[in-house]
Amino acid sequence: MSTTSVLGGIVRRREDPALIQGTGAYVDDIKLPGELHAAFVRSPFARADITSVDASAALAMDGVRAVYTIDDVRDLGPLLAQVPVGALRPLLADGAVHHVGEAVAMVVADDRYVAQDAADAVVVEYEPREAVVTLKDSASDRVKVNDSLESNVLMSWAGPFGMEPDQIAEVKAGIDAGKARDDVVVVSQEMTNQRLIPVAIEPRAVLADYNAGYNSFNVWSSTQMPHALAGAVATMFGLPTTSVRVVAPEVGGGFGCKLNVYNDEILVAFASRHLGAPVRWTESRREAGNSTIQGRGWVATATLVGTRDGEIVGYELEGLADMGAYSQNFTVAIPFLGLFVGSGQYKMPTYWKIDCVATNTATTDAYRGAGRPEAIYYLERIIDMYAREIGLDPAEVRMKNFVPAAEFPAATSPLGFAMDTGDYATNLQALLDHYDYAGWRAEQEAARAEGRNVGIGLASYVEVCGFAPAGLADLGFSWSAYGLPTAFNGSGVVRVNPDGTATVVIGTGPSGQGHQTTWAQIVSDQLGIPFENIRVRHGDTAESPMGVGTFGSRSAAVDGSATYEAAARVREKAAKIAAHLLEASEEDIVFADGAAHVAGSPDSSVPWADIASVAYQPHKLPEGTEGGLETHVVYSPANATWPFGSHLAMVEVDADTGNVEILRYACMDDCGNVINPMIVDGQIHGGLAQGIGQALFEEAIYDEAGNLLSGSLVDYPIPTAGDLPAYELARTTTPTDINAMGVKGIGEAGTIGAAQTVVNAVVDALSPMGVRHIDMPLRPRKVWQAIQDARG
Amino acid sequence: MEIVRPTTLDDALAARDALPGADLLAGGTDLMVEVNFHHREPEHVIALRRVSEIAGWEGRRIGAGVTWTRMEKGPLRALAQLSRTVGSPQIRNAGTIGGNIGTASPAGDGLPYLAALDAEIEVASAGRGVRRLRWDEFLVGVKQTALRPDEIIIAAILPEVMPVAEEFAKVGVRNAMVISTVSACVMRMPDSTWRIALGSVAPTVIRARRAEELLGTTAAPRGSLLAEVADAVAAEVRPITDHRATEAYRRHASGVLVRRLVGRCAA
Ligand SMILES: Cc1cc2nc3c(=O)[nH]c(=O)nc-3n(C[C@H](O)[C@H](O)[C@H](O)COP(=O)(O)OP(=O)(O)OC[C@H]3O[C@@H](n4cnc5c(N)ncnc54)[C@H](O)[C@@H]3O)c2cc1C
Repeated sequence: MSTTSVLGGIVRRREDPALIQGTGAYVDDIKLPGELHAAFVRSPFARADITSVDASAALAMDGVRAVYTIDDVRDLGPLLAQVPVGALRPLLADGAVHHVGEAVAMVVADDRYVAQDAADAVVVEYEPREAVVTLKDSASDRVKVNDSLESNVLMSWAGPFGMEPDQIAEVKAGIDAGKARDDVVVVSQEMTNQRLIPVAIEPRAVLADYNAGYNSFNVWSSTQMPHALAGAVATMFGLPTTSVRVVAPEVGGGFGCKLNVYNDEILVAFASRHLGAPVRWTESRREAGNSTIQGRGWVATATLVGTRDGEIVGYELEGLADMGAYSQNFTVAIPFLGLFVGSGQYKMPTYWKIDCVATNTATTDAYRGAGRPEAIYYLERIIDMYAREIGLDPAEVRMKNFVPAAEFPAATSPLGFAMDTGDYATNLQALLDHYDYAGWRAEQEAARAEGRNVGIGLASYVEVCGFAPAGLADLGFSWSAYGLPTAFNGSGVVRVNPDGTATVVIGTGPSGQGHQTTWAQIVSDQLGIPFENIRVRHGDTAESPMGVGTFGSRSAAVDGSATYEAAARVREKAAKIAAHLLEASEEDIVFADGAAHVAGSPDSSVPWADIASVAYQPHKLPEGTEGGLETHVVYSPANATWPFGSHLAMVEVDADTGNVEILRYACMDDCGNVINPMIVDGQIHGGLAQGIGQALFEEAIYDEAGNLLSGSLVDYPIPTAGDLPAYELARTTTPTDINAMGVKGIGEAGTIGAAQTVVNAVVDALSPMGVRHIDMPLRPRKVWQAIQDARG
Repeated sequence: MEIVRPTTLDDALAARDALPGADLLAGGTDLMVEVNFHHREPEHVIALRRVSEIAGWEGRRIGAGVTWTRMEKGPLRALAQLSRTVGSPQIRNAGTIGGNIGTASPAGDGLPYLAALDAEIEVASAGRGVRRLRWDEFLVGVKQTALRPDEIIIAAILPEVMPVAEEFAKVGVRNAMVISTVSACVMRMPDSTWRIALGSVAPTVIRARRAEELLGTTAAPRGSLLAEVADAVAAEVRPITDHRATEAYRRHASGVLVRRLVGRCAA
């Protein structure tokens, strides 16, 4: 008898054949008879009062069913937000618009072309007003972003977390005192972490179908959080959640932009109820830029105080984060995620303050990493500047200041958060050894001798993920706004069917993460039911247990752990039944190869199909055992998990054109135990691409009037395969003690680790010329300009 | 919207004559983008894909309907180089040289090649027959050509005397699928003279005549001459500043590109 564990093994993704062969169904592939199409009239102004909306010409067009304005939907209230600080978005503009692309009216027509033409025929009269687009201008409150705001500064996140303002001021005073010491250097730099557009390859799409007989909705949406959307629709229409079924079918990427309930989702449902027909809307790429959420957008100054021999005395980050015009799901909470990791891997007094500032631009919210890439970027850039300033190797400076391994588990970060497990020095040393860092430096020297501008960047990161309800609910992160009294729980249902196969149902909302594969591995490992016989279902709120969706690298640690536990309980019950059938003792039952075996007697076994068939015939069960073979576990982790790692990049800069080429990119990540190495690698690959995209290419550029200049993919260059190096990946393994599988999370690590690694490398390449910092994205023009400026 | 699908040049020209306001459709990779953005709202479209007379490439005559994918695999080095930089494989399968000329964008990557060669554009109409215009007679401004409303581009006509060395390169924000910030094509001719053409740095593609003169018939320009040439190019171009790049960067990059390409073409 063999016990072959598929946990930790490479198993090919179950999802891929359908995705590759085009047989998977996205929202736009699902067709309902008689469906109508919505299109939006959107504001061309970043700030204007609306003096009139005339839909008569549109309504007169053939095939137009309705044109809705705020007067039709005002009663439903504004769009729900988890942390309702700042202006909430009205479902349609209510007398004024606050960003370009804001929806003013919705047209519903027989087909998409007619709907779009009719939207163009709606005449809206605007009285333009001054828009506030840049952060510093907005923070000055010279002009309000929205008349309803008392200040454009909506709130601020200060740390150490959990301290009273006067205690925080004390920490700050301590660091300031350090600056006056004569054995220290003070390195300070204002840096921009630019706004980004998430660019999911499948744009957002929604189809809603109201059933008057049942007074209920079916909604298909390309969303990362089907249950939250169902809760929001139910809440806004005053229905019980059982009256709303949301299905997230295949979802073609999300990266956080589908982690929101949007006004279009609510409006399409409204129109379906009003018109008695299914109504759909699919976003255009322009709309994806102007009316879906964006991410990042910070301007902040990092200051580091340290001795000349590499001991950090204090670190400060102070700045502004762009919220856009309206607060949606998390919006103002995103910088808080940055605060969690604001002190990175280091033990050093840290003062942190980020103000959340509104602007007349699209809303910002979670984009892969969400607050954490920003926080780590500032920290790791300034540490690099410090290392250069004191002439120490950047690896050595980091080594000297890590939170020691001995403080784990449950080390308290300088910003006041309990971190589960970590061993930063071992991880960085592994990176340096595995890739021969000394060899890289020798190669760099040789290249420099040939006149080539080769640079090496190193950066370390911590991430926080697998969020736990403990603590968060009190801060307003409760999902209760969406009618979900669940905080950040995870859930899993494991059901062994009468034929011995298993069905696993989870409350996540994957958009490419491979849950069907990973969860089948978890359950197969627990039950010994072959991988092929396990089917994982998700995304349909009518059948899946309550869950908050897929985001924040949380699914494996939280919902995965729930499923693990559910499988363990099913195994316990199955062991009872098997013991009964085999006339053996329960403790001797082991599961493998699709059957229960008695330890020590190889001939004695019973296949899962037999166990299951008995389970579904209660009269054959041992006394006191209930029928069925199914468990539903709702799980609350005691804490979040804290993955970490260090990355190395080698770049070459063409000083004449400013072009940056990444010669090598090497990772040493630590996400705890690994369920499927191939899926983990895939997550890192994608994450790195997005981090490198931020470092080199991507930027949401607004002009002074608030127009998005980079709203099409011509001007928003996401990286292509030709721009990216062949990644070199390796891992250390520091399991978490928070959950039974010891897994942390890997969805965002690549993104959190990459941008500063690349920028550090470019600056390293150009430092002999005197370049100290270049704001991202490091497009050729900017790099060249920085070289010119440094040369004087 | 009505779509006409002629299969012969005569039928295409007749349709063009009958529908002077019609939009010509080749691969559609420029036209459909404009339609999507409502920059054009065609009432009539004449689709040219089936017109066999403009689809071929024989020797010096490249039919308007020849795609980038074909040119990418063709014998002309710089033309193949630049074709490989256009869009993605899908775009190169659809997009044509005729469409590139028809759009006449300052960033059209095929145009520096034609300019460096002093190529001619052959056009025809039902009423007036065929005429040929030199590239600089044809490309008259930003997205403006000398094409008359009844005419169709038939082919690009390359000269009899072809270069002994030719190189193309472009600078953009990433390696593929990108609009040129600067593009350049450099050629060394059998009589040892040089040709230099640049895109994206003026309202139309331009020749860097001053730099060509400086190079004279120097077979292998080096050192200070190369530097002078780069400076001359930087001075001759007339770029703008926009959200994609600054004037200063475009000037500088023009000089750098030309200097490198001259180096690669040198004997
Ligand atoms: C994603 C993407 C990437 C791109 N990348 C590049 C790039 O890297 N470099 C580059 O140069 N371009 C690029 N383009 C632009 C475009 O692909 C090229 O200009 C292409 O050559 C256009 O050819 P077409 O056959 O598709 O033209 P169409 O779109 O069919 O036509 C373009 C214009 O020319 C006119 N026209 C077409 N044929 C004729 C004819 N025979 N006679 C008269 N007028 C005619 C049309 O009426 C229209 O005005 C890109 C476009 C896209 C969508």
